[in-house]
Amino acid sequence: MRVGFPHFGNVYIPVKAMTRRLGAADGEVIIPPPITQRTLDLGVKYSPQEACLPYKLTLGSLIEACELGADTLIQARGTGICRLGYYAKGQEQMLQDLGYNAHFLTLDVSHNKFISIMRLIRDMSNNIPWREIIPAFFFGIGKLFALDKIEKVVQKVRAVEVEKGTASRIYREAINAVDEATESKEVKEITKEYIHKVIQVPKDPVADPLKVGIVGEIYVVIEPFANMDIEVELGKLGIEVERTMTLSRWIKYSLFLNYLGVDEWREVHKLAGPYIDHDIGGDGWESVGEKVLYAHEGFDGVIHLAPFTCMPEIVAENIMTSTKEDIPVLAVTCDEQQSKQGMLTHLEAFVDLIGFRRRKREHGRRV
Amino acid sequence: MVTVGIPRALLYYQYYPMWKVFLEKLGAEVVVSPPTNKSILNSGVTRGVQDTCLPVKVFFGHIIALVGKCDLMFVPAVTSLGKKSYNCSKLIGLPNMARALIPESPPLLAPEINCEKGRYNLYRNIYAVGRYFTSNPFKLKKAVEEGWASNLDYWNKMSDEKITPLQAIDGKLSTDVNASSFTVALIGHPYIIYDEYVSHRLISRLQKMEVKVVTPEMVSQEELDAATRRLVGVPHWLFEPEIIGAGGYYLETGVDGIIIVAAFGCGPDSMMLSIVEHRARESEIPLLPLSLDEHSSEGGLVTRLEAFLDMVKRRKRVCV
Ligand code: SF4
Ligand code: SF4
Repeated sequence: MRVGFPHFGNVYIPVKAMTRRLGAADGEVIIPPPITQRTLDLGVKYSPQEACLPYKLTLGSLIEACELGADTLIQARGTGICRLGYYAKGQEQMLQDLGYNAHFLTLDVSHNKFISIMRLIRDMSNNIPWREIIPAFFFGIGKLFALDKIEKVVQKVRAVEVEKGTASRIYREAINAVDEATESKEVKEITKEYIHKVIQVPKDPVADPLKVGIVGEIYVVIEPFANMDIEVELGKLGIEVERTMTLSRWIKYSLFLNYLGVDEWREVHKLAGPYIDHDIGGDGWESVGEKVLYAHEGFDGVIHLAPFTCMPEIVAENIMTSTKEDIPVLAVTCDEQQSKQGMLTHLEAFVDLIGFRRRKREHGRRV
Repeated sequence: MVTVGIPRALLYYQYYPMWKVFLEKLGAEVVVSPPTNKSILNSGVTRGVQDTCLPVKVFFGHIIALVGKCDLMFVPAVTSLGKKSYNCSKLIGLPNMARALIPESPPLLAPEINCEKGRYNLYRNIYAVGRYFTSNPFKLKKAVEEGWASNLDYWNKMSDEKITPLQAIDGKLSTDVNASSFTVALIGHPYIIYDEYVSHRLISRLQKMEVKVVTPEMVSQEELDAATRRLVGVPHWLFEPEIIGAGGYYLETGVDGIIIVAAFGCGPDSMMLSIVEHRARESEIPLLPLSLDEHSSEGGLVTRLEAFLDMVKRRKRVCV
């Protein structure tokens, strides 16, 4: 069995760590190459035209995994409300048409997530005992937590660093270092070391950066290729970015705390309540609530990332136009037609707008 | 008497008889917006954000058309009718979008219909609607039962007599196409294919071209469900039977051609279409995918239709 899975943010890092720990033979787990223009082109070519970007990118990524010899593919599935439930159906058919005889294993990401992930690992690992699987699993996700922790600092520093690009460079080094680490202790040390490095980056002492929150559909929010590296671009423009949605948060809650009755979105859902009080699939409900949250927290703006034709996010966008919390929202449509230049133009105009609003507000207060 | 407005759009085509009976039995007067026209379309299009699909924009137009004509607006959020299949997010969030975008609308009667949340939740939501009109639970129960019964009649009538919602609701006469030489299945959401303005009167146009048109509503629910299962297994969306199931059914029973009408910007359509297309290629039945948006021109549509029908005719002659 040669297992492949689609590239999605840093997911490959824990998978790699885990398979090494469990002593998988070479080639038993195929790490998908990072998403490139080629991945996108493949996905676009073989997807229905109006499929959402995450569908196209994961299809492209799975094709690349098949090219590397994968014969078993993992794809997310949800009995949730969105198209996710359709991914495996459509993609399996397409891969067969292309002549890859790959078998799909789906991972239920809407119910009993912890159990379904554990089962999947066990099914694939030829019945390695639980006492080996569980520590390997924690070692793997420990890496994700480490990276997200470093990234949080990077998001702040990017906005105020003197030499643009330094923090991002250090972050890339950190990803590699964490990826290489073989012990949990080592991961912890690396985390400390790199956070320190990022904090040490020379900064503009008087900068008081504008702050924006990023909301939207999970795949395009987390995978930098899908959002054209919007966080890095915002950093270049001197904007501090915050984003609630991270892989480690998803894992922390979906796999553990939800079982204890903790709902990470309770607060956000409550804030969305006056406008929408029920789930609409995908991440639409959360997007509305997070807009309200960022407005309450005094952010200068919100960037809403939505794949083209994404149903839940279109609902969210329509609702967001008229919440009484007044905070500028820039909707960015993510699809293969969007040019980076076009996005940058929109970003710059948006930054001007929120900068103007902040100045007006501060001025107003002084008078 | 309280007047309740029902927008003639989206789920209207599937549930109008039930809604009407239900509301009338509760003592309300029902008004329905006029069939889609240019000003309805235009007023709807200017409300929603640009990427919103056409049918939802049309729906907004219908709400606007009812403003001032009713005291309450009936806009249920139909999330799920059980069996783990759900509606499109936009239908689930419909009342919320309407409230946000059309502040001048009278208050919405917007029960969430979500059978996945259990009976209690469902009853409670229906009860919340009934409270506007009556405090008598028996009256409410009766209204629900009679409403449901009339919808069952409606569905049966369409599949038994092979007629469309327009004929079943408005008593529109069908153009007689007795001498028609071939049959084309028209597949799509009811709110697209039966909205004569949005679909550029596709059905009557085809009938004038002497084509016998069959639609998803002319097949019984059981057969649609079975065909869906054969093609994709357990349906994930509520409307898979009417698109995938109907597509599969007509491909299996044999028609001369299939026309699938999708709304531009419709997420689910794009996925379902590719599955039916795949199947059509296997059975070598010609298929014409049409995508409609607010800019689609009648001329372009007619040209494509004629070309398609020519091909269907040629094929048929060769085969015979
Ligand atoms: S939430 Fe949006 S992007 Fe995700 S599957 Fe649904 S339509 Fe696609
Ligand atoms: S199913 Fe398609 S056409 Fe219908 S509301 Fe959803 S996106 Fe719009």
